[in-house]
Amino acid sequence: MRRSRLAAGPCFLPRCITLLLIVTFGLCANAASRGQASASSRVVKAPVQKPKALPEARLIEVYRSLRAGDSRKALADAESLARDVPNFQLAQLVYGDLLLVRQGKAAGLAAAPPEMAASAAAQWNQLRQEATLRVAALTERPPADSVPRQFLDIPASTQHVMAVDASRARLYVFENGAHGMKLVADYYVSLGRYGVDKKAEGDQRTPLGAYFVTSRLEGGQLKDFYGPGALPLNYPNEYDRRRGKTGGGIWLHGVPPENFARTPQSTDGCVVLSNADFLPLLHTVLPRRTPIVIASKLEWVSVASLGGDRSAARALVEQWRQARSGQDLKKLLSFYSPQFSSGTVDLATWSKRLEKEMSAGRGRETELKELSILSWRDTGDVLIVTFGEVRKDERSGRMKRQYWGKENGQWKIFFEGVIG
Amino acid sequence: MGRNRISFLSLAVAGVLVTVHPARADEYADVDKLFGTGHLAEAVQRADVYLASNPRDARMRFLKGLMLSEQGRTNEAVAVFTKLTEDFPDLPEPYNNLAVIYNKQGQYDQARRALESAIRTNPSYATAYENLGDVYAKLASQAYARALQMDGTNNAKLSPKLAMIRELFSPQSIILAAAAPRVTTGKPAAPAPAVAAPSPATPPVATKPPVVAAAPASAPTPSPTLAAPSAADAADARAAVQAWANAWSRKDMAAYFAAYTKDFSGGKTRKAWEDERRKRIVGKRSISVVLTDFDTKVHGDKAVVQFRQAYTADALKVSSRKTLNLVRVSGQWLIQKESTGT
Repeated sequence: MRRSRLAAGPCFLPRCITLLLIVTFGLCANAASRGQASASSRVVKAPVQKPKALPEARLIEVYRSLRAGDSRKALADAESLARDVPNFQLAQLVYGDLLLVRQGKAAGLAAAPPEMAASAAAQWNQLRQEATLRVAALTERPPADSVPRQFLDIPASTQHVMAVDASRARLYVFENGAHGMKLVADYYVSLGRYGVDKKAEGDQRTPLGAYFVTSRLEGGQLKDFYGPGALPLNYPNEYDRRRGKTGGGIWLHGVPPENFARTPQSTDGCVVLSNADFLPLLHTVLPRRTPIVIASKLEWVSVASLGGDRSAARALVEQWRQARSGQDLKKLLSFYSPQFSSGTVDLATWSKRLEKEMSAGRGRETELKELSILSWRDTGDVLIVTFGEVRKDERSGRMKRQYWGKENGQWKIFFEGVIG
Repeated sequence: MGRNRISFLSLAVAGVLVTVHPARADEYADVDKLFGTGHLAEAVQRADVYLASNPRDARMRFLKGLMLSEQGRTNEAVAVFTKLTEDFPDLPEPYNNLAVIYNKQGQYDQARRALESAIRTNPSYATAYENLGDVYAKLASQAYARALQMDGTNNAKLSPKLAMIRELFSPQSIILAAAAPRVTTGKPAAPAPAVAAPSPATPPVATKPPVVAAAPASAPTPSPTLAAPSAADAADARAAVQAWANAWSRKDMAAYFAAYTKDFSGGKTRKAWEDERRKRIVGKRSISVVLTDFDTKVHGDKAVVQFRQAYTADALKVSSRKTLNLVRVSGQWLIQKESTGT
């Protein structure tokens, strides 16, 4: 079966080269230019000095040399990569392949010592998958000046935004500021053993949705297993809870020191990065404020084309703000869903609270600071709205988050609460 | 194959030595003999004495390297072979043997580099190729083990068995060097092999392959009455050689070994020779041995069959002249001696 794919491949290489190399090759068509782009875009903060190419970039360079027919350089580069980063399993695999190919032997599991082949077929396939994913992610880049459509409105005060494309096993990191979002880095990630769309505790899947980093755990607090630290996410969020999803402890984290990376589907649901990639994130990403979207496949849209949806969402929130500022309780309540709940508080209790707050506000304007709006669509349609709520003439307010859902064509708030 | 020790050719070389520096050749032969009979300490001592007055002599130094390695004085052996690669960078043999030592120490990357140097020095050096193939396979296996995080397996700790080259001026390198001299400084009158130029202490090697020493060319012309049977004998001998090549090609070890006389041992013990051949042959994915340009001479129950051997195994391709000395035992032609070159 391997043969037939080889024969069908668009490849000029000797047919003895493995599927691993071939698959990767097929995708490698534009890698030469792309690899460079990615290598240069991989620094989260301004680099102190030009660093040695990252392991992934070096691996891509091996593929590029192979494609250019320079198997000697490919082997030399693979060797030095395998030596410098001995726990980079994929690099070892490629190095092994190249050594065998160099000898004119067929590379691949068949060439591995028999006791390896017997017990490691699944692992082998995962590594091959990793190769495909890594190269694909660097070959097929997101369109320029575009962002995942979930990031409807991100305030300038939010410094980073992250998005995971599960189909690419990739985490994209954006810097954000007054001039909007800019893709600054992307990293290979490992996801749940059984894929995505987590529904229940223990299903070893990674959740899909729009989340926030809730805290930062430094390595010293954790087992080696997590590497240099972890960034926990707020799964299950209020939307997940409504839909009966269970489980928790979904983190971004690193790998134990003996590993470089994990295979694409190997976690209990967490999003796992190699330590070199994760360290800068761990220390730059601010807990509580940093959104992260995890999608089965990211939909990239131009910043300009988001404008319409953004205006509509802002208008919606503005209407709520005005009602919140005014003295018409009925009008304010019209924004809330009959299914509203906040913790143990149902709509009836919530109404009383709103009424009390309304009277205390005495018609003073409510101002919303640092408004953030995330959009999430699956079978439902949700807006996750976060802001600092401050009454006029008051010095401080509270961070609040609302979940809006579309019910019978109308946006209704089904959750509202103070965060952290 | 090239790894087998070719006594007649070394004899030929020694013959040249004898005429040039008889004492030196004797000394080398003596030391080699002591080495061969297991008198290592004495052999090393004799070599040291000799080298004290002939410090650049490549053959003796090489032999000393072998003996040190045999004695387990690995670091000293490495030093000897390393120095040889520095003084005679065109010689593949010291690189090869360095690689064998590195390999034994589990330093496969260094072994690989040494073998690559050997091949750069002499691109047709079959032993180095085969050794390199084994080191590549070992490195690949290690890499795969790391890829699969199975580093702890016993298999990962076993070094492949690489072949030491026993003789500095192995016939193959002489032939190849004679055919295509690498050293341009050599005088046209004596196209010296790669080894000759750098070392004044090293005597020039025979300009022409010593065919004479190999085959009983002086054999009397068979009488007319014997001509017919002799022709048939020649055909039989040649058929036996072809059968040997076929067995080799299809990796039929039983038939391959059966082509040799019972006491054939390739300069080792029979078991060591068989083990090595088995490993070399069975380990290949595919082997093709094609023989052409036969030249067969029969004298009674002995025959000398010379031919060109095109050997292809996996990525390795070597074409060389080869000579098999056959002996007829119970009506069957068996290989008594195998040598590269003519």
